[in-house]
Formats: sequence, structure tokens, C-alpha cells
Amino acid sequence: MRVVIVEDNVLLAEGLALLLRTEGHLVAATVDTADGFLAAVEKHRPDIAVVDVRLPPTFRDEGVRAAIEVRRRHPRQPILVLSQYVEQTYATELLAGGGGGIGYLLKDRVSRISEFVDALARVAAGGTAMDPEVISQLLTRRRADHPVESLSPRENEVLGLMAEGRSNGDIAALLTITERAVHKHVGNIFMKLGLPPSDSGHRRVLAVLSYLSTV
Amino acid sequence: MGAVIGVRRRGWQAVRATGRLLLGLLLVPVCLIGLALFLLTFVSSATFIGLIILPYVVRLNRWIAGRGRRVAAGWLGRPVTAEYATIEGGVLARARIVLGDPMTWRDTAWIAGHIVTGPILAALGLGVWAALGFGPSLPIWWWAPLPEHAVYLLGFAVDSWPRVIVAVPLLVAAVATAGSYVLPWLATAEAVLTRLLLATPERVRLAERVAELTETRTAALDAHGAELRRIERDLHDGAQARLVSIAMRLGVAERMLAADPDQAATLIAEARLSTEETMTELRDIIRGMYPPILADRGLPGAVAALAARCPIPVAATVTGVDRLPAAVEAAAYFVVAEALTNVARHSAAATATVHVSAADDLLTLRVSDDGRGGADETAGTGLAGIRRRVAAFDGGTDLSSPPGGPTTLTVELPCG
Repeated sequence: MRVVIVEDNVLLAEGLALLLRTEGHLVAATVDTADGFLAAVEKHRPDIAVVDVRLPPTFRDEGVRAAIEVRRRHPRQPILVLSQYVEQTYATELLAGGGGGIGYLLKDRVSRISEFVDALARVAAGGTAMDPEVISQLLTRRRADHPVESLSPRENEVLGLMAEGRSNGDIAALLTITERAVHKHVGNIFMKLGLPPSDSGHRRVLAVLSYLSTV
Repeated sequence: MGAVIGVRRRGWQAVRATGRLLLGLLLVPVCLIGLALFLLTFVSSATFIGLIILPYVVRLNRWIAGRGRRVAAGWLGRPVTAEYATIEGGVLARARIVLGDPMTWRDTAWIAGHIVTGPILAALGLGVWAALGFGPSLPIWWWAPLPEHAVYLLGFAVDSWPRVIVAVPLLVAAVATAGSYVLPWLATAEAVLTRLLLATPERVRLAERVAELTETRTAALDAHGAELRRIERDLHDGAQARLVSIAMRLGVAERMLAADPDQAATLIAEARLSTEETMTELRDIIRGMYPPILADRGLPGAVAALAARCPIPVAATVTGVDRLPAAVEAAAYFVVAEALTNVARHSAAATATVHVSAADDLLTLRVSDDGRGGADETAGTGLAGIRRRVAAFDGGTDLSSPPGGPTTLTVELPCG
């Protein structure tokens, strides 16, 4: 895959490039500003862009804003946003466009190479990768009468992984259960939450996330 | 047109001034009672009974002075305020407090003075109206069988109808003009006199403010110091120690790499796991110091994020908040976060609202919910924490939570 890296910290940019090259990807460009990001996407049309949230000059949320702007111009451009901390608000904003190919992960996750590379591939293929921390922000402190509370512990695990953007196959592998069992759990979850059943993939993630953030 | 409005306004001012003077006059009998009681009690305060009664008489005089302040404030158009010492403790302590409070003596002086000035000023004011009434009645005086059969006005004999017709309007106009100046002047004189005696002098107010600020500054320094120590401890015992252990594991793994690759791989995996824990810990420490969302989005964005994260629906509005001092923003953020946590945990509310607004160097936070109310400040540490945090910024915290709700927490933080 051809990757554009948007990261102003040289140490992190080099580490990320090393990691990607080791995994057999091509780093098309490394830029350190939001404007550079827009230009690099225009020029290289990468398979995926990996973007830091804080960029010069103000070091606030330039990365998120730039990602949204890039998506406005190129709705199919896959983008993986990396950050030292995650905010549910940013996740909602990134997903608001509706299309797939969006990832939002803590920088910590990069250290689990295989999981990170999986997430990268998933996003590049038009899927979703939401950080477990975002999901737990959405799931914690629910009230006792919330429908989510009626899920069994296993269904809760499946819901979390589903919201992260994992496929049924992934979920089955991670929980060491059969794909048929996952399929059944997913059916039960959608029934208990009163959501219309949706096929696997990005639309399912959106349904679950919007459900969790609005109810 | 303008002249007519001007005349009407002057006339209305004169009427208002008369009202104030009459209100002052009404207070005179009360003042007489208050002064008499005070003198009696003061003289008898050599006895135990006198000491017991004294604070009550002082309270009465404070009330009377309070009325006087209201009358003066109504005329001056701005509050006339005083700060009294709080009367508390045993009989001797209470007597000592009221006798030691300079305001007691100022009140008494005003009451004594008002007994004299009140009637004089009111009489002068009423005299103006009497003079005004005298004008139209002039023909009667002239026409009535008086010895000289003439009325003299400033040496001018009013002794024929034409002269009456000229003199009456002139007299009325002169008195009305003079009255429209004299009446407000009288009311102002009374109000200024009152303010002079009954408002706590600026010097005293400033001294009290300095004492208050010194106290909150000490609290702020303490809180700041405690915060620094906590961060130092967290970094020292947590992240720093973890990094040392990671470095050690990696060092050992490096030496083992050739001899025992499996063992080296295990150590490296442990080191990686440990870095993840370190990162989580650092993130928590940073969030506790200054939440990153606050740096990214300022208070409006951070409050919106808090509202979005709350398990119950929260309507958040933020107005007039530009960039504030970072410390104030952080304090405001933690107050809202803590308040919403309390709402989610204890209130059983269906919805909550957060309103944040800044005006005149004052940041106001209001968090309300439609829950069961009856919040107990002593039960948890949440509210006490909010109070302490706010007090360190010389701010104010107010909690209203009647049983059955609604609960409203209002916090004011100076941000100038």
C-alpha cells in the first residue's frame, strides 16, 4: 500500500515509516502540516493516510479538521487518525461524513504491530477501526435501565468489537468462538437494542455507534 | 417638545424627592424609639439583663438603619450597603461583638441625627408645596376683610384684580421653579448624609477584601502545591519506574538475543506491554493536569464533549466565553465534569442542562437536573471538592437541591 504520513514529531514519523516499510508498505510522503496533508493527498492519491491530531501551528485538533476537509473533497480517501488521547466527540465528527474508510486509534496501539497493520488494511479497504477506548467511553456509565445493560457479558464483548469495526471472522478469532456463534450474538444484540438488522461492515459500525452516542 | 418633557421630568423628580423626604419623616418616630431603647439598654448594660437585651436592641437599630439605607438608595439609584459583624456566641461575646462593631455606633449616630434632620428636611420640603398652594389662594387673602385690605408680596401690593391676575401665575411659576431645584437638593442632602454614615467606608471594605484574598490565595497556593506533589509522585512512582523496568528488560533481551532468542522475545513482549501501561498512565496524569480537549477546543468544545459523554441527555450552552486564563478554564472543566458525574450517579434525573457564560470578568457555571433533589453536601466528596477548587479561585459555589428536585449547582469564577 502507498501511505502518506502526517506527523510533525520527527521521532514518531520516522518510527511509523520504519514500521510501515518493514511491513512491506510504501511511504509516499511524510508531511507535518494540515496544508501539506491536503497537497500530498492531491498529489499521491495514497491508499491510506495516517494522520496525527495535533499539528502546527496551534497544536490543537488540526489533524481532525484536515481529515474532515480531505474527506469532503475526496469522500473515498481512507484516513487513519492517530492521537495521544481519544475523544468520543472527534470520533463522532470523523464518522459524521457517513462513508467508510475511517480509523481513529490511540498511538499506543501502534506497538501491537499485527493489530495495527490489520486496522490499517481494514480502513484502506473501506472499513472502520475505532479505538476500544472510544467504545468504552460510549459504553461506560450507562444507566441501569439502558437496553445495553440487558446484554450478556459475551454479547457486550461482541458489541464492543463490532463497534471497533471488526468483521464477524475477526470477532470469532479474537473470542475463540465459531463464526456461527458470532452471527447469533450479533442477531441477539440488534434485537435487544431494537436496531434494524444490518449487514456486516461499515454501516453496522455506524448503526451501533450512533445508537450508543444518542441513546 | 423637549422643553415640555424637561418640565415634566423636573416635576416628577420634585414629586419623587418629596416622597423620599416623607419616607424619611415616617422613620423619625421609629428612630426615637430605637434611640431611646439603645440609650436605656446601654446605660443598663452594667447589669446582666442589659447585656442580654443589648444585641436585640442593636438588631432593631440595624433594621431601622436598613430602612434608612433603602430610602437613600432609592433616591441615589445605587445600593447603600454595609457589612455588620455577625452576632453569635454567649451573652458576653454577643455584647462585645455589638459594642465593638463600628457600624453599631454609626447606626446610632445616624438614628440620633435623623431625629433632627428628618423633620427639618421634610418640613422644608412640605414648605415648598405649601408656598405653591399659597399662590392660587392669594385672591382669598386679598378679598377677605383684612385690616389693610392688601397683600404684600416682596413689597409689592396686591390690591386690585388686574394685579392679582398678574401676581398669581408669577408667584406659582417662581415657586415651582425654585421648588424643582430645592426639593431634589433636599432629598440628595438627606441621602448623602445617610450614605456618609451608614455605608461601610471604602477603606474598611478594601481591608476586608484584602483579608479575604489573602485567605483564598493561601488556599490556592496550598492546592497548587498539593497538585504539584501529586503529579511528581505519580510520575516518579509510575511512569518513571516503568520506563526503568522497560529499559532493563530491553537491555537483558539485547544480551540474550544470540544465546536464548525465545527468552529474549518474552522479555521484549513484556517490555512492550509495559510501555502500553506507561502510556495509559501518562494519559491519565495529563488529563488530570489539563485535559487535552480543553487545549484543543477551549471551554465550549470541552463542555460539549463532557455533555456528550454523560449517560443522560445533557443540553449544554456556552456563551460569551472567549479564551480565558488556562487555570480558570481547567477549574471550570473539572467543576462541570464533577457535577455531571454527580448528576449521573445520584440524581436519577432524566435530563440535565449545563450553562456556561462569561460576562464582566465573571465566569458563571450552572448545572441543573430534573432528578430527585435532596443532594447531601456532607455525603460525598464531590461537592466538597468543587467548593475547595472554586474557593481557591476566589469564586462562589451555591447548591440548591430541595427534596423532589430540581437540583441546581451554580458556580462563579472570577476570570478578569
